[in-house]
Amino acid sequence: MSHHKLEAKELHFTYPDGNKAVNGISFMVSHGEAVGIIGANGAGKSTLLMLLMGVIFPQKGEVIVGDVHVTKKTLSMIRQRLGMVFQDPDDQLFMTTVYDDVAFGPRNYKLEEKEVEERVLKALELVGILHLKDRSPYKLSGGEKRAAAIASVLSMQPDVLIMDEPTAALDPKSRRRVIQLLKSFKHTKIITSHDLDMILEICERILVIKEGEIVADGETREILSNAELLDSCGLEMPFSLQDCPLCGSQKQSLKKLNS
Amino acid sequence: MSGMINSLYNLRLLDDLAKKGTSIHRVHPLIKLLTTVVYLTVVVSFGRYQISGLMPFLFYPVLIFALGEVPVLPILKRIIIVEPLIIGIGILNPIFDHQTFMFGGFTVSMGWVTFLSIMIKCALTVTVALLLVATTGMDGLAAAMRMLKIPKAFVLQLVLTYRYIAVLLEEAARTLRAYSLRAPGQRGIHRSAWGTLAGQLLLRTFDRAERVYQGMCLKGFTGEYYTGKSNRIRIIDLFFLAGWISFFVIARIYNIPMLLGSLLTGVLN
Ligand SMILES: Nc1ncnc2c1ncn2[C@@H]1O[C@H](COP(=O)(O)OP(=O)(O)OP(=O)(O)O)[C@@H](O)[C@H]1O
Ligand SMILES: [Mg+2]
Repeated sequence: MSHHKLEAKELHFTYPDGNKAVNGISFMVSHGEAVGIIGANGAGKSTLLMLLMGVIFPQKGEVIVGDVHVTKKTLSMIRQRLGMVFQDPDDQLFMTTVYDDVAFGPRNYKLEEKEVEERVLKALELVGILHLKDRSPYKLSGGEKRAAAIASVLSMQPDVLIMDEPTAALDPKSRRRVIQLLKSFKHTKIITSHDLDMILEICERILVIKEGEIVADGETREILSNAELLDSCGLEMPFSLQDCPLCGSQKQSLKKLNS
Repeated sequence: MSGMINSLYNLRLLDDLAKKGTSIHRVHPLIKLLTTVVYLTVVVSFGRYQISGLMPFLFYPVLIFALGEVPVLPILKRIIIVEPLIIGIGILNPIFDHQTFMFGGFTVSMGWVTFLSIMIKCALTVTVALLLVATTGMDGLAAAMRMLKIPKAFVLQLVLTYRYIAVLLEEAARTLRAYSLRAPGQRGIHRSAWGTLAGQLLLRTFDRAERVYQGMCLKGFTGEYYTGKSNRIRIIDLFFLAGWISFFVIARIYNIPMLLGSLLTGVLN
């Protein structure tokens, strides 16, 4: 199945004000893979995701989804297959009710209203905010807004799910729900986050980005237990891999890895 | 300053009202749009000196207010925002129009009559336009306009402008909140900060509007609005349209208050 493959080739992007945000990034994500993208604030993660979605276009390099190059012409086709949850849910919710917001995508693809309703209710159910369906998005709490934004992308049933910090601002229960949800989603996933424990649970592979460049690309456990690498990129080992703060005993998982 | 932030919630009032499900809300958007257009045309077509003839046209908004469960005060407030503009336009009439007439022993310039007539027309038309949005919603209206084959670019412009106002005010409220939290005990905004704040606001709203638009595009938006409501016009909708249009036309041709008055005096005599 090559059609869900996603490839970035030598991407370069400089913001109009001269800010070099992405500086020669190349990688390939194959079908069904879950990839975490981590890096300090301002490392260029959000910019990279925007480039993948064709929201902005690179000055050099290209993005290939399946066998299709992302250009202005192929954009509408590409976007049916990729769904992206923005870092700021306020940018993604613009209708007058949560229901309409979640239905916006499916309606644009001219589905029958019956099917739209099914999808909307299912998506709301999945993220656990069915009870908010008639509320106005702008009156929700930060975490509820994020859940709504996630639902609004799920309802489009994309092949590839791209998420910019999906668990930020969620309470532990909702965070758990999103993690379960992402785990159950069998398609390709690309997730950026500072929540490294979440990445550890969901992704088998990690890209570490620093100042617009990839500094590491490899297996999740390996990278997340490399304290030196993480430290040099402004990151810290996830709690679940750190030694116990109370008794100082080493983690089982780490022992296995080190032996 | 918190007043400003509160008004943010009022800003979306029309959207919230449009979510109700009264009999008026259920009337097809296209029908309401057409009725409103006819209403506006007819009201505007009244001459400068006609006031009593306009009175029957109160009937339509009053009925929509009642049946559509639209609260009167918030709508009135919005009309008051527009009135100063109209006063600006109409206020010179009493000065330039030198015809006079007698009213209860006073000599009154005809200019005041035209002024009053402009004010009434303005209030009526603005009310009915607001009621249209409050009972249909901007998305419903956009869909209706597309049914009338109004060009996509124009409808899109309108819808996005409407969204942009919300975005602008939200950003303004955020900026103001940030400012007021760090300038306690100060009333309003100090002169020295006006320039920076205004500039910031402009840039931030551009940015935000751009991102919202991108968000729409990512969900397959191509400029066409689908509200998901049934597109069929029901028989009762046609009755609504025909009924109101005939009422407007009759009220335009015959001066109903005058007729009623003469009828009454005729009976009394
Ligand atoms: N609209 C913009 N105009 C100019 N520069 C920008 C813009 N957006 C981001 N940048 C710059 O590009 C760089 C990368 O930003 P980006 O938003 O991709 O970071 P990020 O990795 O997502 O960070 P965070 O973890 O804080 O979300 C930063 O140095 C930032 O200052
Ligand atoms: Mg970011």
